[in-house]
Amino acid sequence: MNNNKRSLTAHQDDFFSVVKALLVIVLLLSIAPQALAAGDAEPAAKVVNPGAELWREVRQREAPVAGTTQVAGMDSGVLINIRGEQWRTFRMQQLIPAAGALLGGVLGIIVLFHLIKRGLRLELGRSGNYLLRFKEIDRVLHWFVATIFIFLALTGLILLTGRVVLIPMVGHDVFSVIASASKEGHNLFGPLFLLGVIGLFIRFVSKNFPGKGDIGWLLKAGGMFGGKHPSAGFFNAGEKIWFWLVIFIGLTLSATGLILEFPFFGQDRLIIELSLVLHGVGAVLLVAGLFGHIYMGTAGMEASLESMTSGYVDANWARQHHDQWAEACEAEGAVIAGEELAKKQRLRGTKNRVPDRPAAEEGQ
Amino acid sequence: MTEFIDGPLWYFALAVFLSGVVWRMFSIFRAGSKPDLSVPRRSAAVSAVMTSLRRFVPRHEMSPRIRLQLVAGYMFHLGLFALLLFAAPHVLFLQEHLLGFGWTPMPHWAFIVTSQIAFAGLLLLWLHRVLNPVTRLISDADDHVAAVLTFVVMLTGCLALMETFTGLRVLHRFTVELLMIYFPFSRLMHAFTFIPSRAYTGAWYGRRGVDA
Ligand code: HEM
Repeated sequence: MNNNKRSLTAHQDDFFSVVKALLVIVLLLSIAPQALAAGDAEPAAKVVNPGAELWREVRQREAPVAGTTQVAGMDSGVLINIRGEQWRTFRMQQLIPAAGALLGGVLGIIVLFHLIKRGLRLELGRSGNYLLRFKEIDRVLHWFVATIFIFLALTGLILLTGRVVLIPMVGHDVFSVIASASKEGHNLFGPLFLLGVIGLFIRFVSKNFPGKGDIGWLLKAGGMFGGKHPSAGFFNAGEKIWFWLVIFIGLTLSATGLILEFPFFGQDRLIIELSLVLHGVGAVLLVAGLFGHIYMGTAGMEASLESMTSGYVDANWARQHHDQWAEACEAEGAVIAGEELAKKQRLRGTKNRVPDRPAAEEGQ
Repeated sequence: MTEFIDGPLWYFALAVFLSGVVWRMFSIFRAGSKPDLSVPRRSAAVSAVMTSLRRFVPRHEMSPRIRLQLVAGYMFHLGLFALLLFAAPHVLFLQEHLLGFGWTPMPHWAFIVTSQIAFAGLLLLWLHRVLNPVTRLISDADDHVAAVLTFVVMLTGCLALMETFTGLRVLHRFTVELLMIYFPFSRLMHAFTFIPSRAYTGAWYGRRGVDA
């Protein structure tokens, strides 16, 4: 059985060697008349090494030239694709350093900002009254996308920067294992991210159209640098920008990711190379945005994380950051007193543990 | 290390798993039930079967409230069992190490789609557990450990998909062994108890003429 397999591979190898040789011959023959013609024009002025000329043609430094071949398949007539080298140079000399600078820079600015401003505090403290901000389905969806995106970001950054960052640290052998695992994980979870982005779009789009106060909010940079807190609706302009970044870059990442993961639907090399560039640049931009989003959702703004954990926010938080929405809720009588919420959700004041469930009844 | 995980630890995990499950099931059945002296209104056996089946679909009144658990629950459980029994490396493993015979495994693309469905289901279920105030309150460490362990087992399995690196395969095997050792002492036992427990409830109530 094994022998059969081995001999089959050997046959395949032989076959491909013959095909490659034929391809070279076909290309050489197609180039030869031009080489001869060039030789006729300037007989003794410059002795051109025919080998060098030939090699230049084969390398196709200017742009890939398709030769003729019997081998069916995308780009099978191209001997050496120069754009691959262009992509490699772009990746190593521009994308990776730029990604490092951007991500490091954003992190540095956030840390600096936090050290100076200590985040946005609740100016009036807590009111003890609450407003429902996100239903359970929205919170589940948000954390679903967040978990998957963070996993994709980690594995993607390993694949992007591993050669520069990880190989010097862990060596080639260990890195090859990490890279293989990252690639499998990244490819597996990618399509789930697309579903998550579509879900986010469906659930949140209605609240993210430009609205009253957005320009003012942007001009005052959301009140980050002091002054009266600018007015905002359910989402402020900063959050709306984040939403549309997630949607547009997220969809771009998904589309290019699918092109890269399933390269057998007729997409040619140019499309694949373009996808690589868009995928890399888009991912780095979204991760940089995510640093800011995580900061604002946690240490950067007191009491904001609660909206995505319990779903409720303190009424003072709402008045401070989303006054238009808070007023609308108050007008509707949607404010819930703390005790009422505690009773409703048993979120607080319930120290007594629920007795263990009976062993029977399927762990419901 | 590789030899230890492939050898002694595997046999230890298998022994703990098998003996633990048998012991837990035996102690449940041995506990028995008090003799029921009432006049039976309906056949206990029929009610046992009916309830076991009926519980696969939620009660009409409950459906809108538990749509997420229902969909995610089926996604995860069906996905997991398909992976467990039909992933090509699993079929080969069972054939070579346990059963001596195999069956047709699922193709590679089906493996990918199934694991995506199972991962999405598990993640959604766990997020529901921690984000819903009621399920959060009734969950304890065991629930979270079981969910995380299962997730890690599935993840390491998928990371080893290329089957090129021994390290990744052994990592998957190691997490499987941890899960097998943990299994009998945890609520993961519901994989074995769910049918008997449904049947018991069905028989108990059915005998009294109550739809359970
Ligand atoms: C640890 C990571 C994360 C934390 C702590 C976090 C935190 C939060 C919080 C607290 C909110 C609610 C803001 C409010 O009440 O106005 C929110 C909203 C949101 N988050 Fe996240 N998040 C995280 C990761 C992500 C990721 C990875 C994505 C997408 C790739 C994302 C997308 C969104 C979107 C779209 C919204 C709604 C805002 C809008 O529609 O404008 N989040 N997040």
